[in-house]
Amino acid sequence: MELSEYVQSGLQILADSGCFSPSAYTVLLQTAFQSLLNAQADQVALDHPVLKHIDPTVLKHCHAAAATCILEAGKHKADKSAISTCLEDCKFDRERIEQFCTEYQKNKDTLELILGSIGRCPLHLTDASWRLEYQIKTNQLHKTYRPAYLVTLNVENNDSRSHPDVSFSCTMEQLQDLVGKLKDAAKSLERASQM
Amino acid sequence: MLLVLSEEHKEHLGFLTQVDSAVVGEFGRIAVEFLRKGTNPKIYEGAARKLNVSSDVIQHGVEGLTYLLTEGSKLMISEIDFQDSVLVLGFSEELNKLLLQLYLDNRKEIRSILGELAPKLPSYHSLEWRLDVQLASRSLRQQIKPAVTIKLHLDQNGDQTTKILQTDPATLLHLIQQLEQALGEMKTNHCRRIVRNIK
Repeated sequence: MELSEYVQSGLQILADSGCFSPSAYTVLLQTAFQSLLNAQADQVALDHPVLKHIDPTVLKHCHAAAATCILEAGKHKADKSAISTCLEDCKFDRERIEQFCTEYQKNKDTLELILGSIGRCPLHLTDASWRLEYQIKTNQLHKTYRPAYLVTLNVENNDSRSHPDVSFSCTMEQLQDLVGKLKDAAKSLERASQM
Repeated sequence: MLLVLSEEHKEHLGFLTQVDSAVVGEFGRIAVEFLRKGTNPKIYEGAARKLNVSSDVIQHGVEGLTYLLTEGSKLMISEIDFQDSVLVLGFSEELNKLLLQLYLDNRKEIRSILGELAPKLPSYHSLEWRLDVQLASRSLRQQIKPAVTIKLHLDQNGDQTTKILQTDPATLLHLIQQLEQALGEMKTNHCRRIVRNIK
């Protein structure tokens, strides 16, 4: 886990009990996690009373350093010993390391979920709806008498813009073909997961 | 149900009595060809010269015949109804039989051409799929994230479009379940009864 000079110096200040009392450390640590994991944490509570006497520039530096450290750990799926080593190098004492690791352990899964969801991918299929109709006539052709399906596939994407759904019509045979192919995909998924 | 022919229409078709059955057969072939590929006025001129009449007369004859065939095919009228509709034209027995044969021979194809005129949504053509496993990304290493990538081929008005979509295993199973339910609907009593009774 490699951290830049800026991040390391921020962490070193955070480790210093002269700058950050134990309660101040706790609050900053929790704030750092919250700002990463909580989508509504726009106004991060860096104005907690316990942090009031610390210079705002220093606060921001340390907050950014802590957040970066958390993200790097999450990105590389670092284990406790890797995190400990890293914090030791930044002059953290045993107790503060323990606190960091405990907090990290608590939030690890959410963190990985968020990191994993960043990125581009093709339009994601979320659902399908269908309509079965029986065609009777058109203005050009009477007595057509055949069933038809209208299928709509709902799609969405990471960018939370709404995307038009994919709609198409098909006959019964075509729908059977479609479902057959999807079932092939599912079977092959199952086999792959057993390897 | 009978076809109702206007006076003008009857007049146009009247020309058919003045030519022999081979020509009527030829006009029938031309009519169907025009339905398949579109009209070609040059054909009218050629026939007009051969038969020594104006090309307008030829055109009306062919168009009259076309209308007879398409209306009959559209409504899917029975043999008897077609014969009765044509009787009002006062044609010979031979000509009537010829027209009926023309109708029956070409009805299926004409109906399929008429079917393509209906308003349409994109329709399913085919589907390709691929199994992927995401191993890492810029923001997260050491992942195992299975996904199914799907290429959906659709037809619309003769153009093929392709859509690339992706889904995860759980959603794939959900989709299969939903669409199988859709397929099962046609076999329910309700649908069977409707199909049986609408004729």
